[in-house]
Amino acid sequence: MDFQVNIIIDALPALLAGAKLTWYITLVGLAGGMAMGIAAGLGRIAGTQSLGAMPHGIFIPLTTALRYISSAYVELIRGTPIIVQAMFLYFAFPMLVKAGFGVERFRIDALTAAVITIMINAGAYIAEIVRGAVLSINRGLVEAGMSMGISRFTLLTDVIGPIAFRRMIPPLGNQFIISLKDTSLFIIIGVGELTRQGQEIMASNFRAIEIWSAVAIIYLIMTSVLAYVLKFFEKRMKIL
Amino acid sequence: MKRIIELNNVCKSFGHTEVLHNINLSIGQGDVVVVVGPSGSGKSTLIRCINCLEVITSGELIVDAIKIPEEMGRIREVRLEVGMVFQQFNLFPHMTALENISFGPRKARKLSTAEANETARELLDKVGLANFEDKLPRELSGGQQQRVAIARALAINPKVMLFDEPTSALDPEMIGEVLDVMKNIAKDSGMTMVVVTHEMGFASQVGSRLLFMDEGRIAEDGDPKEMINNPQSKRLKNFLGHVNTN
Repeated sequence: MDFQVNIIIDALPALLAGAKLTWYITLVGLAGGMAMGIAAGLGRIAGTQSLGAMPHGIFIPLTTALRYISSAYVELIRGTPIIVQAMFLYFAFPMLVKAGFGVERFRIDALTAAVITIMINAGAYIAEIVRGAVLSINRGLVEAGMSMGISRFTLLTDVIGPIAFRRMIPPLGNQFIISLKDTSLFIIIGVGELTRQGQEIMASNFRAIEIWSAVAIIYLIMTSVLAYVLKFFEKRMKIL
Repeated sequence: MKRIIELNNVCKSFGHTEVLHNINLSIGQGDVVVVVGPSGSGKSTLIRCINCLEVITSGELIVDAIKIPEEMGRIREVRLEVGMVFQQFNLFPHMTALENISFGPRKARKLSTAEANETARELLDKVGLANFEDKLPRELSGGQQQRVAIARALAINPKVMLFDEPTSALDPEMIGEVLDVMKNIAKDSGMTMVVVTHEMGFASQVGSRLLFMDEGRIAEDGDPKEMINNPQSKRLKNFLGHVNTN
């Protein structure tokens, strides 16, 4: 076996371009995923005492609807493979739009489909992380806030939020790393991310050992950076 | 005496279990009502209903002229007038003693941070913890935490203070410091207080009224000293035999 380092050096610019795209899909996707996850996670416990709610009147059906919608989203996404979700969004969704609204040339480009897939997919898992963290908070703290006449929104931003966030960091770390690695699946819809770049170079020079070693190491570096950033946050927060 | 809290035929159920049966009670301004009774008699539920941590199942609750359930939208106003101290202190673990106390004035009463901090410092001084403003709850003893919690509840300037077994989670040597703070509040400010406790000494020294609850009903209601020294019913006699009456 001859392991030629210069093969990797030659491939590096293309691999790094792929890595850049992987970062882009991951970061934008996770930013959206956090927003969706927080919304759906809180939605799943809307109108419950964990959030200091005392629903009455119109709020009862409203919060019930929120809970059902959020749960349906989480179950749908958790219950189907991410690769099917990407395929559906990229191939099936434009056809549905065409059939439903008569829009002829509606297309989603592969990169957008990739970002949205990560967003929706990570969002469902993050929703459960958010819900778990909020449920883990001692109800007495929420009651203490309520008993002082604090508004539910302030309770969420100043009491529940900070405490829950600290507890969310370890499982969020898991999810961020999983989502980063999941971007490699977008090879199937033709996004030129890191795995796809590796595959293309390999197909032209057949240097599987060098290329896949390099790809693996680049992924490892990227996931380490994510893990480090989360660890930094964890250390900086007051321990609860 | 002006009435500040009124319960008319109040029932409270959890699922199929009714824990409060047709409670009728009216509390006047400045009253110090001590609520005692065996475990499971509905004492805690009663005071949790008063500041709407539990919503009553039927009947009517009137707090400072706000009617529940008729005016459910005004629950926050009820809570601004009714402070609560819990058995487990429930201080916000990520805030210092000062931040815990100034949080309510800042967020619920919309005071500026400077004003709120000033109120908080005065209250810390009042509960004897002037030098502890930068301490986190976990750096304080149980008694100190409960005193901060009392200051926190007072900080929103309520008309009524509820105490839900404030000394039950404390080591014996810390009970006194918390009771002293409570006695001072009762004597100095003429605050209306409803106190669920097993401290009969507190009841006879500062209580203006004693409620004995049994199986979700107010079984007896009267003058604390008289009830403790000369209990009429067998159930009350029996109960007092199990608690320290000093």
